[in-house]
Amino acid sequence: MRPRLLVAIALVAAASACSAESVPIGDVPALPTTTPAEVHALLDASTLPVVLNVWASWCGPCRSEAPLLRSAAAESGDTVRFIGIDVRDTQDEARGFIAEFGLDGIEHYIDASGAVPNDLGGRGVPITFFFAPGGRLVSMHSGVLDERSLALGIDEISRTVP
Amino acid sequence: MEFGLLAAALIAAVCVRLTLAAEAATVAPEQDSGRLRDLALVSAFVGLGVGRIGAMVAGGTNPLSHPLDVLILRGGVDTVLASVGAVVAFGIAARRALVVTADAIAPAVIAGLAGWHAGCFTRGACLGTPSNLPWSISGPSGVGRHPVEIYAAVLLAAAAVVALVLLKTRHARPGMIAGLAIGFVSGARLATEPMRLGIGNSPLWWYAGGVAAGGAAVAAAIVVGRHRG
Repeated sequence: MRPRLLVAIALVAAASACSAESVPIGDVPALPTTTPAEVHALLDASTLPVVLNVWASWCGPCRSEAPLLRSAAAESGDTVRFIGIDVRDTQDEARGFIAEFGLDGIEHYIDASGAVPNDLGGRGVPITFFFAPGGRLVSMHSGVLDERSLALGIDEISRTVP
Repeated sequence: MEFGLLAAALIAAVCVRLTLAAEAATVAPEQDSGRLRDLALVSAFVGLGVGRIGAMVAGGTNPLSHPLDVLILRGGVDTVLASVGAVVAFGIAARRALVVTADAIAPAVIAGLAGWHAGCFTRGACLGTPSNLPWSISGPSGVGRHPVEIYAAVLLAAAAVVALVLLKTRHARPGMIAGLAIGFVSGARLATEPMRLGIGNSPLWWYAGGVAAGGAAVAAAIVVGRHRG
């Protein structure tokens, strides 16, 4: 009985430790809608390298990489622009996801049709693109990001700054 | 879990299997290769699970409300918790002959870790900090980089050979090979950590942890050696 009690206490402690970084959903503004043309214009005009992450609130793997993106944006947000494209989602679900993971440090847009990632040459969710300033694609990562891949992508685009 | 990670895990498992086959004639009959392989597998799975749950909790994902996320290993595994979980699982499973079993399994575990690092080509994680050395590998932007995971694989493979030789020649005191193995793994991590890229982590933590683990391993090996001697 005692080991089971210890396991139960550990699980409750783990559950209570979660969501420490979350923000109230009311503080998350509605996401502006976007199109492939608008995203291209945004990338072309950017003087900073860009990490563009395609996500959705219904996507389990996106939940796994969200804390990593939050940390990376907090660490490199001054020198790298972080953009999130939420695809095939609703405003409420998207804002809930941003609030749950404290992703308010990232610039988010909503793409209800899911046309943006297809236009950029990627398929599936999640997918992450790494752009040099001016919108040149340096690399693309399909699937869940891990720490090394994200750090490498950021380091690579950071070295493209003149 | 994706195919790249599975391929790296398969390489690690093959390295463990080959090392256990190489030491098969050396270990005591009660420590047969099959039992050691099972112990290694159980410890690895428990370690991965504990490390993944630790990473989820640290990242703000509730493992109770999203239990299937435990399977998304690419999302992050807390290495320290994974190591602790694996060691504790091994300790419980091998408690009746802990020291002898730890010595017998040590070369295979180091070889498995070497295989996992060598599998960086399949999981896309070989590259580290920029380098101009002749063997550097170019990243997507053309910048040469240290193949840091290959460095780790080479160091660990050499350590596995040393541990295997010590085991087969029967010169080491009980506990000595396991202690040295922990020191080797810590040392390899310490040597390669400055060349790794990361998000929000400082290598200083790993320095401290590695030195502590290496020191504890050597101390434990000496104490056990004296006790048995």
